[in-house]
Amino acid sequence: MEIYKAQDYVLKRLKKLGVDDVVISATTDESNQIKYVNNEIATTKRWISDGISVFAAIGKKNSMTNIRAESKSQIDKTLNKLVKIVKNNPENKEYMGIAKGPFKYKKVNGLYDKKIKNLNSDGVDIIKDSLNKALDIGASRSSGVFDTEISSGRLLTSNGVDADIKDSFISFSIRSFIDGNASSHKISVATTLRRFDPIGAAKNAASTAVKACNPKNINAGKYDVLFDPLAFSNILERVAWASSISYVEAGFSFLANKLNKKVANTNFTMYDQGNLDYGLASSSFDGEGTPTQKTTIIDKGIFKTYLHNYSTANRYNTKSTGNAGLVSPNPTNIILKPGKASIDGLLKKIKKGLYITNVWYTRFQNYSTGEFSTIPRDAIFYIENGKIKHAVKGIRITESMLNILNNISGIGKESQTILGWEVETPCECPPVLVRKVNITKPKET
Amino acid sequence: MKDLADFAVKKAISLGASYADARADHSIGNGVSLKNDIPESSGFADSKGIGIRVLVNGASGFSSINKLDKKKIEEVVKKLIKSVKYSSKLIKKPIEFSTEVKEKYKYFIKPKIDSESISLAEKIKNLLEINSALKEVKGFKSSYISQNDSYIESYFVNSENIKISSKIPFIGIYYVLTLREKGKSSQIYKQLGETKGYDAFHKWDLTKLAIGETKEMLKNLKTGIKTPKKKMDVVVSPDIVGIMVHESVGHPYEADRILGREAAQAGESFVNTDMIGSRIGSKIVDVVDNPVIPGSAGFYKYDDEGVKARKKYLIKKGIINELLHNRETAAKLDVKSNGSARAVGFSFEPIVRMSNTYMLPKDHTKDELIEGVKQGIYFKSYMEWNIDDKRMNQKYTGNIAYLIKNGRLTKPVRNPVIEIKTTELYNAVDAVGKDLGFMAGTCGKGEPMQGIPVSMGGPHIRLKDIRVH
Repeated sequence: MEIYKAQDYVLKRLKKLGVDDVVISATTDESNQIKYVNNEIATTKRWISDGISVFAAIGKKNSMTNIRAESKSQIDKTLNKLVKIVKNNPENKEYMGIAKGPFKYKKVNGLYDKKIKNLNSDGVDIIKDSLNKALDIGASRSSGVFDTEISSGRLLTSNGVDADIKDSFISFSIRSFIDGNASSHKISVATTLRRFDPIGAAKNAASTAVKACNPKNINAGKYDVLFDPLAFSNILERVAWASSISYVEAGFSFLANKLNKKVANTNFTMYDQGNLDYGLASSSFDGEGTPTQKTTIIDKGIFKTYLHNYSTANRYNTKSTGNAGLVSPNPTNIILKPGKASIDGLLKKIKKGLYITNVWYTRFQNYSTGEFSTIPRDAIFYIENGKIKHAVKGIRITESMLNILNNISGIGKESQTILGWEVETPCECPPVLVRKVNITKPKET
Repeated sequence: MKDLADFAVKKAISLGASYADARADHSIGNGVSLKNDIPESSGFADSKGIGIRVLVNGASGFSSINKLDKKKIEEVVKKLIKSVKYSSKLIKKPIEFSTEVKEKYKYFIKPKIDSESISLAEKIKNLLEINSALKEVKGFKSSYISQNDSYIESYFVNSENIKISSKIPFIGIYYVLTLREKGKSSQIYKQLGETKGYDAFHKWDLTKLAIGETKEMLKNLKTGIKTPKKKMDVVVSPDIVGIMVHESVGHPYEADRILGREAAQAGESFVNTDMIGSRIGSKIVDVVDNPVIPGSAGFYKYDDEGVKARKKYLIKKGIINELLHNRETAAKLDVKSNGSARAVGFSFEPIVRMSNTYMLPKDHTKDELIEGVKQGIYFKSYMEWNIDDKRMNQKYTGNIAYLIKNGRLTKPVRNPVIEIKTTELYNAVDAVGKDLGFMAGTCGKGEPMQGIPVSMGGPHIRLKDIRVH
């Protein structure tokens, strides 16, 4: 059965079976990936999928499933099982229903570019040109992935929502290596071909790697750290997730009990914006049909709101921020408000410090206090009196999230869009200077 | 499903592939999660699909579709062959696979209690019981508990006439508990998983486990002293040995990582092929990766390239002995695959993975290990850990931990840290216990990310004279 027809059928059928709240999301997706390793293509991948997910609630009892739209009888079988499970489940006292539509939606611009759909094998040539550029600059080898995705979806609910979306995605990730222990990682990611700059990413990766050769050891201690957007997005993303009210309730957030309190320096303002033009996670509606919006999470250092869906907002006597997630509100596009400084201006502010271009393996000792550590990787530079002295290796940041946020002393004026393997929620992030960051490391033997 | 997989392989060969394989899956699964005493979510899923992998002109390609429709599969194969042919322009050395034994094998694991036969309501009730018991403990603040199970039927076929059918159950659980005492807080994370049915859930006795950990951690919060910062002897538990060998033995011994195939994200390795046969640890260190342990989280009899699985000695008597291989890395290094290719499902390419990675036990009791320490620390559990992308610089932060004085456990210590290089770590092992414990994990690797079930473990071990801070 065609999936949108199946969606209509599911709604009709569940209403007949006595279900109060129904949310049915259908998506079709075509994704392509070319993985390249050491200047050669390692593999070419393509995924074709479609799917329907259904949420059903009777009173305060609910459950969810997926639908394989093979036949009406197959759908009926699944729906009968779903209703039986919902009726049998214990009540979720906190469940307050789904958003009440219908809603009027404003168009979000720049989410679909048919040129990405028509790219076909052009990815191979894009990779070839980018690799040649990196080689010209001095990278001995580069590895990474080139991804494209075209998807469309429709959301249908028992509260009058019937909304659709079509979007495209293109991404190029490159890690350039130079023999002698130097590497640099850059990405270019966009919803349209016009905003996509793989050659720029390749140039930047190779030229940064060239500068990072012959890294040296430094002592553990406190350093002022300038984070590149790729590095700081790892922290920014975790601040955004910590503002989901579900994370707070589950004990996963260092922002619990922080409403209207100072959590960051006054230069720090952070938004979530689900209706951002050209935004990688943009849609005019959220997972239950509420129109998306721009939400100020932290305003000049003050924590202003948690992220809510309809049900959680009702419990807290506030309004949905358009971040459903039916089970848990989730961030969409995260934006750190840019400052006024150039990257050179930020570097000049550093007397003794580090310039960190990437981190990985961020892990928490305690989510509720925000104590964590993360490992800088790729190009790291030691800075003295505003100047790069040499590359650095073998260090770790051991810190608390609130310390980092409160010690931000400068924010760059140019943001980059970051999304990738380590940062799974899109961030619009400028470079950020943080004072007195705790650097630890194993003892040299 | 089998017919369609066979068809996809034949079609790919007829269109010019020199090699083709297909994997068809039918997976059913359930999940429930509890936030404090609220049943936050529950659901079930039933999905089917086929993944096809080819070699064309020396280049590799993979495609998947979740519609079991012959026409659509034909279309997918045609497009795949076309795009891989184009990609072969950017190949210098053709990809080859090692020659392997041609097998036909079927294995179905029948659980004692099929998880599908237990209602979601009962599964929620069982989680609620754990939370209710925890609420009785003063100092317990909040919990998040999530349990999932699946039963996956899989069929693998390739153009060399290897055919493997399997049906394997899985059940997993994790919890995060938040505790508060005297204005200080701590969190406990635990993950368990086995290729079994719901009988495993009963066997775990999670209420007892969670209560025990909670009480011990609260004692640490109440009476824990600051960690003395100096070089000391350290005894670590099976959980910590497990994460150590997973991160700094298993991962760096993955041959694809050594050859650079994961360089862009999951990283490379401090190990190179010339290091096989060289010393990495003390003589009493044996580390294996062993998928053929029935019921284990990383269990399989044949890998996802149809190669028979076996136990691999990664470190033997302190010497680097063997790497983890799939057919591509084996061919590159002129050895046979040791059956380490795994994919999390039909929509992912198989890549080199661990299964159950652990240090082999020796001859000491835990008490004997502690008795030999004048002043040191016993690390019983951990929370935060990480390692650099060449697997050399690693950190483990203790959660439940005790000071050892004159061979006896004394006061709890707060968050002691081992931050150490791999080379120093395994050379510091001076005694190995005779017990053996495992914990489950979800190991991440690949693009897109493949989170695969594994287990990791070992006995209690003693590390001589390492820096703790």
